Amino acid sequence: MKSSLVAQAVILAALALLPAAGEAIYFRDKISWRSAIAPSEMVTAEQAREFGGTAIWVDARPDEDFAKDHVPGAILLNEDRWNELLPQFLAAWAPGKKTVVYCSSLSCNASREVARRLRKEAQLSDVFVLEGGWEAWLKKK
Amino acid sequence: MNKTPNAERPTSNVERLEPSTLGVGRSALDVKRFLWRILDFALAGIFIYAGALKAIDPVQFASDIDNYKLLPWPLSVAIAFYLPWLEIFCALALVFRFLYRGALSILTASIVVFTLATIAAKVRGLDITCGCFGHASQNWSFPSHLATNLAILAGLLALLFKAMSQNRLQNAA
Repeated sequence: MKSSLVAQAVILAALALLPAAGEAIYFRDKISWRSAIAPSEMVTAEQAREFGGTAIWVDARPDEDFAKDHVPGAILLNEDRWNELLPQFLAAWAPGKKTVVYCSSLSCNASREVARRLRKEAQLSDVFVLEGGWEAWLKKK
Repeated sequence: MNKTPNAERPTSNVERLEPSTLGVGRSALDVKRFLWRILDFALAGIFIYAGALKAIDPVQFASDIDNYKLLPWPLSVAIAFYLPWLEIFCALALVFRFLYRGALSILTASIVVFTLATIAAKVRGLDITCGCFGHASQNWSFPSHLATNLAILAGLLALLFKAMSQNRLQNAA
């Protein structure tokens, strides 16, 4: 083909859009465009409250933020002191319990990372991330 | 004076070459072409493999891109869906030599950007788990990442320069 380099690149770039769009539609329920957490792994403050006594609240923020204020009954478990704090969390956890992890706000990543590690390293299921974090909890309080 | 038919026949430079010399010249050219095609196929294989790995699990790839902390999440998702297919299409273009120079330029640009992002992540002290091969390369060390990227880049640049010079010669002819 004698077309220019740029024209060739544009054609290839356009061709790749088709399967990419198809895949985006296929995976629409498994990935959120708004947040790095899958919709199935996220709960709103209202949904988390409905868990009632089956919920264990995990505060993934730094120690000083937890010390200032936290969700009543929440257990501190952050990445800074993961190995030290994990046994304390596991002692409180029981089968059938739903774990709700939160950090400061919608933009923080700590809750996502702690939730991921709880699923992967502690092999726990029913681990959720609180949408909007501590800020959302305060608004709905 | 008796003249032999052979003496009267005009001969080109090529025909005047010794048969053995001509044979060696042709076979050397064939070997060279064959080696360039091997490089085409090797790089295409790498990008098809890398693209397929990432296309199978775009959720994980989006998370891997997000680890670089360079792009907002929605853009990471868009790239996670788009980039693997772009790599696969460009790799197929190398195999079939269709839209060849365009494919080489896209792959070269993408590997340059990716190498720079890897270096930037290292400089910022980020624990990256993403490589050319998506999450499959999560246990690679930084030097391994860099060496792989530079080797791929060298191969792509060699093919690109050859394709460009061939194109210039064709346009000049």
